[in-house]
Amino acid sequence: MSIVGEATVTTVASRRPAARPVARTVRRIIVKVVTAVLVLLGAASVTYFSQYLVPGNRATAILNEQQGRAQQYSAAQLAPVNHKFGFDKPVVVQYLDYIGGLFRGNLGTSYTQFKPVTQVIGAELLPSLVLTVCGLVAAWVIAVAVILLTAKRRRFISALGSTWEALTASLPPYWVGVVLLVVFAVEIRIFPVIGGTSVLGTVLPVLTLALPLAGFLGQVTRDEFEKVLDEPFITTARTRGMGDTAVRLVHALRHSVLPAVTLSGWALGALVSGAVIVENLFGRPGIGQVLVTAVNSRDVPVVSGIVLVVAAVYIVANLLVDLTYALIDPRLRDT
Amino acid sequence: MTRIRFTRLAAAATSALIASAALAACSASGGGASLAANGGGASASGGTPVKGGTIVYGAEQEPPCLAGGWVQQAYIDRNILDSLVTEASDGSIKPWLATSWTVSPDGLTYDFTLKPGVKFTDGTPLNAQAVVDNFTFWEKGGNSTAQVSIDPYFKKAVALSATHLEVQLNKPYLPFLTMISQGYFGILSPASLKRSTQAQCDDPIGSGAFEVKQWIHGQELILVRNPDYTSWPATAVHQGPALVDEVDWKFLTDPVERYAALTTGEANLIYDVPTVDWTSAKASYQVTQYITPGKPVSLFLNTSVGVFTDARVRQAFAYGADRKAAVETAFHGVIPYEGNPSVSQSTPGYDAAVADAYAYSPAAASKLLNAAGWTGRNAAGYRTKGGKELDVKLPYPAGSVVTAEGATLLQILQQQWKQVGFNVTLTPETMAETFSGVYNTPSSYDAQPWYWTSPSAAILWIVWRPSTKANPNYNNSSFYNNTELAGVIADGNTATTTTTADKYYDQAQQIIQNEAAAVGLYTQTTSIAAADNVHDFWLEKSQGEPVFEDAYLTK
Repeated sequence: MSIVGEATVTTVASRRPAARPVARTVRRIIVKVVTAVLVLLGAASVTYFSQYLVPGNRATAILNEQQGRAQQYSAAQLAPVNHKFGFDKPVVVQYLDYIGGLFRGNLGTSYTQFKPVTQVIGAELLPSLVLTVCGLVAAWVIAVAVILLTAKRRRFISALGSTWEALTASLPPYWVGVVLLVVFAVEIRIFPVIGGTSVLGTVLPVLTLALPLAGFLGQVTRDEFEKVLDEPFITTARTRGMGDTAVRLVHALRHSVLPAVTLSGWALGALVSGAVIVENLFGRPGIGQVLVTAVNSRDVPVVSGIVLVVAAVYIVANLLVDLTYALIDPRLRDT
Repeated sequence: MTRIRFTRLAAAATSALIASAALAACSASGGGASLAANGGGASASGGTPVKGGTIVYGAEQEPPCLAGGWVQQAYIDRNILDSLVTEASDGSIKPWLATSWTVSPDGLTYDFTLKPGVKFTDGTPLNAQAVVDNFTFWEKGGNSTAQVSIDPYFKKAVALSATHLEVQLNKPYLPFLTMISQGYFGILSPASLKRSTQAQCDDPIGSGAFEVKQWIHGQELILVRNPDYTSWPATAVHQGPALVDEVDWKFLTDPVERYAALTTGEANLIYDVPTVDWTSAKASYQVTQYITPGKPVSLFLNTSVGVFTDARVRQAFAYGADRKAAVETAFHGVIPYEGNPSVSQSTPGYDAAVADAYAYSPAAASKLLNAAGWTGRNAAGYRTKGGKELDVKLPYPAGSVVTAEGATLLQILQQQWKQVGFNVTLTPETMAETFSGVYNTPSSYDAQPWYWTSPSAAILWIVWRPSTKANPNYNNSSFYNNTELAGVIADGNTATTTTTADKYYDQAQQIIQNEAAAVGLYTQTTSIAAADNVHDFWLEKSQGEPVFEDAYLTK
């Protein structure tokens, strides 16, 4: 993150005539867009070739997948499949076809469902986004609440808070999910076991993702938060008569969340991989499940398509992180 | 009716956790299993029948496409497509779309009379030509499991009139009707056959009791009742269209979730009860266990390259581990051991005596290995011959064929094989590796487990037919070419009576076992647990396809 460095530069720049910063902003946006496209292309290419290099034969996989077998096939049996999916063309041509298709919004055709990848992913994208975004939001709510309530309190309470964070941060998501499922869907029947995409059915999947992440975000924030509470400006605020809750909310929190905000960009991407486990456990549609199935069946176009989507999520998330920085830290606003 | 004790599920949760760091959520276990028990599975008495309604079925694996030769596809297709004939629970063949048939004295011509007036759900007539079109489609490889099931016996099918067709064979094929009772032989609308692969995958059109309403990938397939259904099989419990309005076929990959869905009543019945929950399921639900006929889960031993080219080493391998006890342990006593490597105990013509061979005997293994020249022992305790270690590469299709419990079994066996001097390297294959052929060549393994469902001992021909240059048999994963074996199986297939056929099939089982071309492990077994208010749900006989047309719920 080069934000801080640039901030210094632009603070100087902001004293210059107004036209220059505008041009500068435009240039920056262009650079960002071009970079984003390059990152996406890079992700697509790496995925494409890494799957190409994996041992095994794609046409064999397609036939076996269709027949529930694991056998060899004769060249004559493989030929029509090779022709249908263009495997008989040189690799470079196949790759260029694929990349060319990307620019036309064509992500290729699934090797197993025989339909456009955009269709395969499109149907599953929304449930996954809902799950991951809600997971991130819930993680933040939990983390902030625990921090506000326990950091720098009586020793016992503070210890309780940091233990909770250490514990949840280290829990494997599958285990969290199973325990939540058994307790809140089977024993106390508040939520459904098979949630699908219903609101009530989304609660446990979201919590499964949020609990470990909340612990992690909390750990990162707590140190910073406790340090900030010792800063002179906090003492100043208190002497002005500000209440403890207000001090914590308005001053301390704002100063201590930056590391966790930085990590949220990463977390959103990581949540997509966590979603795989959650989607399976709660019978929820989503790209996580599709990804696992596609990797298992060597459905190259689908895998590449999902990698592209995840890369796009990372890019957007990091952009949002940059913007959030500016909101939290007024010194960065002019940029 | 659906009470649950915490301890039970907690136990399930814990064991699932222990058993499956890797399995976790990502693996889809059970490659192409099958369940089901002959007509009349679950049913109980009492309660007021609900009119219509939806049955929620907690299935396990989701096929990417509904058309194909995989048993998981056949499970679904059975409810959408009708076949010519069906197999009753006693193994006899009963009418379905074909109301009657005659077989010529030479066994070469089958003359089928079709039920008149049957229509596909697209409105087109199901006539003799439509059936002929399907035979042509199968023979051309449109469904490769259908293809190998009638190859090389099928010659051609001819429509004689709207309701008469004739199937001509090259040679007599006694199991012909039994083989075509499998779900792979469901009759598709000829118009449906001409559509794109995608359309065929998403919405196969037949004349069955249900049609596809909606498929939400990763979640569920909703089947809706065909109100104009007229062509139920002779084995149906009731006459008429399906009793329920819809079947909600949910894909619940995770075993904990699947069983929990049953206990909370969110699913009316579930497929493949986790073995840890089997005892409690038996106490609280209607349960059915289905032992799939066909080839059980057994180890193909590579007879063309490596240590197992020597029959004595293969036999030593079979003697060298207590497979029976290990199966008992790994599967919590739920899934039966199968010592016969070529056909499972539920297959007609099964020879139980063959299964008793190679009872655990380290002494016998030792003797055979000494005779084969593997007399040295190296520092690690493995046997050697001319400085070469007795190494066995054993990759296994993790998740798709071998479940977490199956992997435990292999680990137990690995330890015992070590005692007699085999250095067995277990390699879990990812599904991608399995399907893309990383482990299907003679140089890639010495032993590998696999199974193949089939209602007839004719599976022997599919698996053990010798591979020739002109006509390779890639299903022969032991690369075992034995003309005597091929001869007796072929004689079994063309026999005129079941008694004669079984005599030949029995010889085939003995040859495979004597030569230790494969080593038996356990039966491919599936199970169903249903709540008490589910009635007249049944599993058909040929490979345990679940049948919903007679099922109804009570309040």
